[in-house]
Amino acid sequence: MATPVIETQNVYRIYEGAAGYTPALRGISLTVPRGEFLAIMGPSGSGKSTLMNILGCLDRPTTGTYRLQGIDVSDLSDDDLAHVRSTQLGFVFQSFNLLPRASVMRNVILPLLYSPVDPRERELRAIKALRAVDLPEEYWDHGSNELSGGQVQRVAIARALVADPPLLLADEPTGNLDTATGEMVMRTFLRLKARDKTVVLITHDAEVAAWADRTVHIRDGRLLTAEEERAFVERTARGARAAAGASDKDAASAVVPAGPTTPAPIAGPREASAL
Amino acid sequence: MRIRDLLAETFSAIRANRARSLLTILGIVIGISAVIAMTALIDGVKYAMVAQLGLNQSRLVMINAYPNGEPLQRSDLRQLEKGMTDYEFLTGTAGTSSSVSTGQVKLDGIYTNGVEDKYFVAMGSKFAEGRGFSEDEVDESALVAVVSQGLANKLWGQDADSVVGKSLSVGNDRYSVVGVLEDANGYTTGNETLYVPLSTFQTRIYNWGLDQVYGYAREGADLDTLGERTKSYLVSYYHLTGEDADGYVYIQTMKSMIDQLDSTMGAFQLLMTAVAGISLVVGGIGIMNMMLTNVTERIREIGLRKALGARRSDITRQFLLESVALCLVGGVFGILFGYLGAWALATLGSGLITSGMGMQITPVVTPSTVLLASGICIGIGLVFGYGPARRASRLDPVEALRYQ
Ligand SMILES: Nc1ncnc2c1ncn2[C@@H]1O[C@H](COP(=O)(O)OP(=O)(O)OP(=O)(O)O)[C@@H](O)[C@H]1O
Ligand SMILES: [Mg+2]
Repeated sequence: MATPVIETQNVYRIYEGAAGYTPALRGISLTVPRGEFLAIMGPSGSGKSTLMNILGCLDRPTTGTYRLQGIDVSDLSDDDLAHVRSTQLGFVFQSFNLLPRASVMRNVILPLLYSPVDPRERELRAIKALRAVDLPEEYWDHGSNELSGGQVQRVAIARALVADPPLLLADEPTGNLDTATGEMVMRTFLRLKARDKTVVLITHDAEVAAWADRTVHIRDGRLLTAEEERAFVERTARGARAAAGASDKDAASAVVPAGPTTPAPIAGPREASAL
Repeated sequence: MRIRDLLAETFSAIRANRARSLLTILGIVIGISAVIAMTALIDGVKYAMVAQLGLNQSRLVMINAYPNGEPLQRSDLRQLEKGMTDYEFLTGTAGTSSSVSTGQVKLDGIYTNGVEDKYFVAMGSKFAEGRGFSEDEVDESALVAVVSQGLANKLWGQDADSVVGKSLSVGNDRYSVVGVLEDANGYTTGNETLYVPLSTFQTRIYNWGLDQVYGYAREGADLDTLGERTKSYLVSYYHLTGEDADGYVYIQTMKSMIDQLDSTMGAFQLLMTAVAGISLVVGGIGIMNMMLTNVTERIREIGLRKALGARRSDITRQFLLESVALCLVGGVFGILFGYLGAWALATLGSGLITSGMGMQITPVVTPSTVLLASGICIGIGLVFGYGPARRASRLDPVEALRYQ
């Protein structure tokens, strides 16, 4: 088998804070092959963003190993990690993090300032990325503080796409989007996948997760085993039935929104058009 | 990160904080103003001196010798020239004031200078018209004259076409004008001066020895040692002893005059240096403070840039360039205000500084002064910007992104 894009073994991440030690990740072992579209689901505080920071080489595991494209990144220096981030990774942050005083265009171009991409190509790439997220051209010169929540989200996604990285990490990229726009983003991810890119998507929303090839669940810093997952699926399904029945008491105990987590057949078209 | 991108980032960052940036660079502005005002004035005075004295005069040794109270005579000079071979020649002058008239105009109290032919060489004189005296004219006490442009204007009016060939009278003698000197020539003389051959002066106007002797050093001679040797030569030549030596022989060189000027300006220079130094340090601390605020305000931005692939050095450079650019902006204003300040000081104090020299000072900002100021600005930007920039570059991307 070809080298997986992501391969973590027994990764722990323990935060040292005012309240003592917080083990946010407790033995995560995860393998993602090239071209997979993976969804990670889990309740708030379960360690999703922590995991994404490690997968994105922004943070290092406290113990355990992480190989990105077969390279153990814990051996790399800060500058090498920066290089990995600029050439291998695209981020959509949970809080988007656009530069507030810069225009949409400059925000999207930002990652290219630190990459070897020819400056003359920047604008063209930014335009492609903005088209891919369907942000109307009239907004491209707007300051990013003049946009709606959904528009901000789309700019953040365009910025993650602009360097055309082999691995895209997206933390709740559809949180602020209506169903139609959310679907459009999912289709963009599918197109990336069709071009052999790897996509890791973090979400609360089972319907969103249903677009992915595979979904893993994270609880208290641990991935659910196949067995636990089956149990979880049954529990959630029962909860949903009960909720549909009458009382919403049981539904409230369900940790994630009701909905099937088994990969549903993808409704969207899968044509492999370029970005 | 490319230089052009860095510059663009810097420009937009400074523009975003325009008001704060302007206030912050005030210290730098004042400091650089002081540096510029000071150097512009001092350079101005030096330029004025050199311009007034002429380039050749940098090879001049001014000799005032009254061995045993008697002035030197022309014949003494020829003897001394044989003994002191480091001089190309020695030339002497004698002067008094006299009344000069043409048919229409009569002027009193005009400084009249008896000179030898080589005097004009020694002074590096420039002629607006005509020529100096020939050796023959000096030897034969010819009735010829050279006038300064100022005197020519007074005698024949500003718009007289040509003055050479006209005649003027001193006492009962009529002199024919052979040359007109450009103004600003010779430091012993004012703007209106009449020159006649030394022999003519001594026989017809005032019979007295040489007031002043100029030694014109050979190319490359060291004036300081030459001055010393001239003094000891004269002392032994005239058998002067002890106190007499100091009283009767006084030697001055161009260099000693500039040294004298430097010591006059020393107090002013010290004051300005202190002002400059203090305000530059205060300004630098201001820059550092602003940069620290900038870094704190932009922690999330820094985290984002690092997350998107910026290396430490990219971040360091970005913030260093920002502080250097701030200081340079301060420097530009400083150069401007400093130059204006120098003009104000020159106008106010030109009488004070140059009393007796009769010079007009124009502040001079040389390229090297601008370079010095820019160098200081870059230095301050680097020194005081380094801490904040380093802090920014070492931020942890995850924590920076979480920063509220
Ligand atoms: N820098 C930190 N210092 C200390 N504790 C932290 C830090 N970051 C996260 N944590 C803790 O680690 C746990 C996991 O946090 P994380 O942000 O990964 O959750 P999440 O799954 O992304 O949640 P959400 O869905 O709300 O974004 C939480 O309990 C959180 O309090
Ligand atoms: Mg999170």
